[in-house]
Amino acid sequence: MAKWNQYVKPGPPSPDFASAQNNAMIKVAQKYPNVVAVLEDMGFPAIGWFKQNAPQRIVECGIAEANAAVIAGGLAAEGFIPFINSFAFAAIGRAYNQIRQSILVDRFNVKIIGRGGAWGETGISHNSVEDIGYTRVMPNMVIVNPCDSVEVEKAFLAMADYIGPVFYRQEMSPAMMSIYTPDFPFERGKAYALKDGKDATIIATGYMVTEAVRAIPLLEKDGLDVGIIDMCTLKPLDEEAVIKAARETGAIVTAENNTIIGGLGEGVAAILCENHPCSLVRVGIEDEFSQSAKPPTDKQDDLKIHFALRAEDLVVSVKEAIARRDALKKGG
Amino acid sequence: MAHDDKLIQELEEKKALVRNNIFRIFDSSLGGHCGGTMSILELVTALYFHHMKIDPNNCDWPERDRMVLSKAHCCEAIYALLPEIGYVPEEALDTYYCYASPFQGHADRWCTPGIDYSGGSLGQGLSFAVGMATAEKIKTAAKPPVSKMPQFLPRLTTIYNPTYRVYCIVGDGECNEGQIWEAAMFAAKYKLDNLINIVDYNKFSLDGPSREIMPMEPFDEKWRSFGWWVKEIDGHNLREICDALDLASNLYGDGKPKCLIAHTVKGHGIPSWEETHAHLARGEGITMGVKEGRDIYG
Repeated sequence: MAKWNQYVKPGPPSPDFASAQNNAMIKVAQKYPNVVAVLEDMGFPAIGWFKQNAPQRIVECGIAEANAAVIAGGLAAEGFIPFINSFAFAAIGRAYNQIRQSILVDRFNVKIIGRGGAWGETGISHNSVEDIGYTRVMPNMVIVNPCDSVEVEKAFLAMADYIGPVFYRQEMSPAMMSIYTPDFPFERGKAYALKDGKDATIIATGYMVTEAVRAIPLLEKDGLDVGIIDMCTLKPLDEEAVIKAARETGAIVTAENNTIIGGLGEGVAAILCENHPCSLVRVGIEDEFSQSAKPPTDKQDDLKIHFALRAEDLVVSVKEAIARRDALKKGG
Repeated sequence: MAHDDKLIQELEEKKALVRNNIFRIFDSSLGGHCGGTMSILELVTALYFHHMKIDPNNCDWPERDRMVLSKAHCCEAIYALLPEIGYVPEEALDTYYCYASPFQGHADRWCTPGIDYSGGSLGQGLSFAVGMATAEKIKTAAKPPVSKMPQFLPRLTTIYNPTYRVYCIVGDGECNEGQIWEAAMFAAKYKLDNLINIVDYNKFSLDGPSREIMPMEPFDEKWRSFGWWVKEIDGHNLREICDALDLASNLYGDGKPKCLIAHTVKGHGIPSWEETHAHLARGEGITMGVKEGRDIYG
């Protein structure tokens, strides 16, 4: 039986993402009266609460993401904390230069909730596979990518407490397991080890934490003791946690619902190369776009199979990482 | 409303000082967006030395009027007047384009006291100004009692003034950007009568005349159809600028954003720049123009 660390208690999928996020949004809006909801005609967490309690804090920009991003910058310049909500491809991709020029250059306190990841019925236009890459390269941008409903709420509050621009990546897959106990102490910029292991370490983010957790019993069957690190903050990456894992196991597998180009895997690779070169296998989407599919569930996982992002695929990658490490040791 | 001759004379004197400072900036930088800078010289002179509510001792005064220079490449015109207000030491004029200078190549809010907007990527300034104007509306509407106040409550013209007004200067060329019109729609929707946008209509952008690059006419009709109050003025006539700014300000409370279309001449006042519609000049193009300017204006 896997031995989980404190605050970790994997359970069945928690379909309650939306309400976790709504509750967090209300808490944030109550804590900070200067939080304003900047809408891009794509809904907003807890918009009902805003309509009822603070209609003057709703700024509806219509389908004009570029305009909305810069208006958010202007509002932040006057002391407000604007939250933007849309798909990542629109909220950020469509307004990339606007976010660069009118939010990041001045480090304005704007929070962008963007739906990312390859899953969804909406298809190639909306399923974004490259958003981690194009936001990681932006100076002054912080990226968080929570893995379950407890972390959703904690990350949301931490994002509001932080003064500066944040991209809150929302995968919102109904298949995401519950991972943490409610008393989990989230710390921005710190990875959390769900489980220690001596043979290899999986560094996962967002949805892929679920697959990593599912991979553990499969690995145990093969006699492998593998650790999991939840890398919720994708920028800045927790270098210490990566280096520690490299020292302890020397075989690292990264797992992300994003292309392996520019994402978590490359970030971890850079840290490893500079500090503690070791065996690394990056699991993620190869250089391709996504397509329509029902969101993955226990029974249905077309895109997971297509992209080889299942627990079974992680098992293969863990074994490969271990084999590479052993070959390195032998000097092969 | 009419402005007396004494005031206009004073502004003319300020304008001469600012123009000299622009020449001094070009002396050391040997390059700059001279055409667009000269076309807004009178506009910024009237705004900063007469119309805008600013505190010379505190560039961050929360109730100051905001200035968003959307055509941020013409920051030279504003840099040249900042030492005259006292926000920046005069020596900074000799450091334009230099490493660690308060005078960066495009206006930058972090580097320069008195600059409200970091620009450079065109077509965004009006959205930013709209954001600032919306912030003013929300703050004013939020004054007690918060819960019962309808959104963006219109106020009576005669009693209230906005906490601050937001001024924006956009170039005619950047009005090619769709985002300008997104911002225009938003400003009308939210009744941002605390916002005054000034279009520097100098009729030339980098590649050539606007009517060939991307015709904007009928320009006034466009703004009007977006729900704005519009007035066309001679952008080089200080009295006309001051009158129009007063008129636009006094209409506060009508729920309409204001647009002044200022007809200007690119490179205004310097024959060689006017002739070539100079956008960005370097080296001899700059020094020759500066020499002409000093010959004409002393």
